[in-house]
Amino acid sequence: MLTAFARAFRTPDLRKKLLFTLGIIVLFRIGSHIPVPGVSFQMVRKCVDAADQGGLFGLVNMFSGGALLQLTIFALGIMPYITASIILQLLTVVIPRLEALKKEGQAGTAKITQYTRYLTIALAILQSTALVATARSGALFSSAGGGECVPSQIVPDQSLFRIVVMVCVMTAGTSTIMWLGELVTDRGIGNGMSVLMFVSVAAGFPSALWNIKQTGTLGGGWVAFFTVIAVGLLMVGLVVFVEQAQRRIPVQYAKRMIGRRAYGGTSTYIPLKVNQAGIIPVIFASSLLYIPALIAQFSGSKSGWALWIRNNFVKGDHPIYMVTYFLLIVFFAFFYVAITFNPEEVADNMKKYGGFIPGIRAGRPTAEYLNYILTRITWPGSLYLGMIALVPMIALVLFDSTNSFPFGGTSILIIVGVGLETVKQIESQLQQRNYEGFLR
Amino acid sequence: MTVAFSIALIIFSALMVLLVLLHKGKGGGLSDLFGGGMSSSLGGSSVVEKNLDRITIVVGSLWFVCIVVLGLLLKN
Repeated sequence: MLTAFARAFRTPDLRKKLLFTLGIIVLFRIGSHIPVPGVSFQMVRKCVDAADQGGLFGLVNMFSGGALLQLTIFALGIMPYITASIILQLLTVVIPRLEALKKEGQAGTAKITQYTRYLTIALAILQSTALVATARSGALFSSAGGGECVPSQIVPDQSLFRIVVMVCVMTAGTSTIMWLGELVTDRGIGNGMSVLMFVSVAAGFPSALWNIKQTGTLGGGWVAFFTVIAVGLLMVGLVVFVEQAQRRIPVQYAKRMIGRRAYGGTSTYIPLKVNQAGIIPVIFASSLLYIPALIAQFSGSKSGWALWIRNNFVKGDHPIYMVTYFLLIVFFAFFYVAITFNPEEVADNMKKYGGFIPGIRAGRPTAEYLNYILTRITWPGSLYLGMIALVPMIALVLFDSTNSFPFGGTSILIIVGVGLETVKQIESQLQQRNYEGFLR
Repeated sequence: MTVAFSIALIIFSALMVLLVLLHKGKGGGLSDLFGGGMSSSLGGSSVVEKNLDRITIVVGSLWFVCIVVLGLLLKN
């Protein structure tokens, strides 16, 4: 394993790519620590210390690596880009023009990517305005008020001009992140956006772990510290196991003569992953669940429904919240698999190139068979996703701790998913030079 | 002084957004984000892209310097 790393660094062009990626990551982290001009940094510090991380902005804050609550120039992180991608992905199902573009192949995909970029900027303007507005009114840290933290003092100069400057800086920061990510995709290793997300999520780990050590009581906190690490490692192992699991459906291709050459005659397989949807259902579900709480907070009303939402949907340890979250994840897992994998299309393609699944007739029976297998295999996949996503909340209830569990399901899924993908890409580069890779 | 830097910052921010949007998007899409196919785009960047990169880097550093200076000015 380590020798493979050494080899990767000894290969000149791979070393260049790795160093480039590291450089971009450093830039990204530096930007995540520089406050937007006009924000009182000392006040933000005090308020972040006082605020509990598990609140309403917890998930979004995690995605930005803690930059959101600190109001830095990269405060929005890659969240606008993710949201834009999700929206466009959903729209391709609805809008015929986008669907046609998707079927066009590479040129069409490039156009969709361009739309995603425009939408990202639009969302960035929207979100930065919302963020600055909440920070200005003091609502961002409303729960942390009292003591040294004065929420209304976060933005000392509340003139309109200053606010406009802040919104501009945050929007430009988001576009810079987008560019950095694309640079990594282009010249570095792995998919840039997911590498940056990986970095943001991983950046929160050390402080969260240390927090657990500080608040623990048994043996100076070390017992809790090591328990959490052990559970985290166990979960990583489990996640890797399920992520790699796939069902291979054998496909036999008929031999064909075209001119004087013989084509086909090979037998391959269609890999159907147990967790075909990846972590997208979790992201969907948490963004959807975040909306009612947001509405309740912005409306500020004291009527019955707002109170009910505040009691049941803001805190993650409430049973109603957990059940809704779980059901939403299961639903979105099926939904997303249905969007991305179309059995009829696959069956048609196979028929076109003379392929068939042994024992099953080509055409409609194949599509039905694939659909059956896919539905059956997605059940354990979706249940697993829901369970993993619920682990931090269950841990919260069990340990009755006030701070969030650092190895939350979402973060572990992201870390493992992105890590595996990136390592696979490095490996394929290594194999071009006949080296043994990391994974066996 | 602060007003001048603020206006410069607004201009640089707008420029930055424009320049980034002028780039050709690399990769992208959700399936790519969370482990899809390995679609590594081959082929080097054109001269236009290279020049665009240079301009973006220059504007980006100016934008960054503006942020730091304005932050220090507002602190005092």
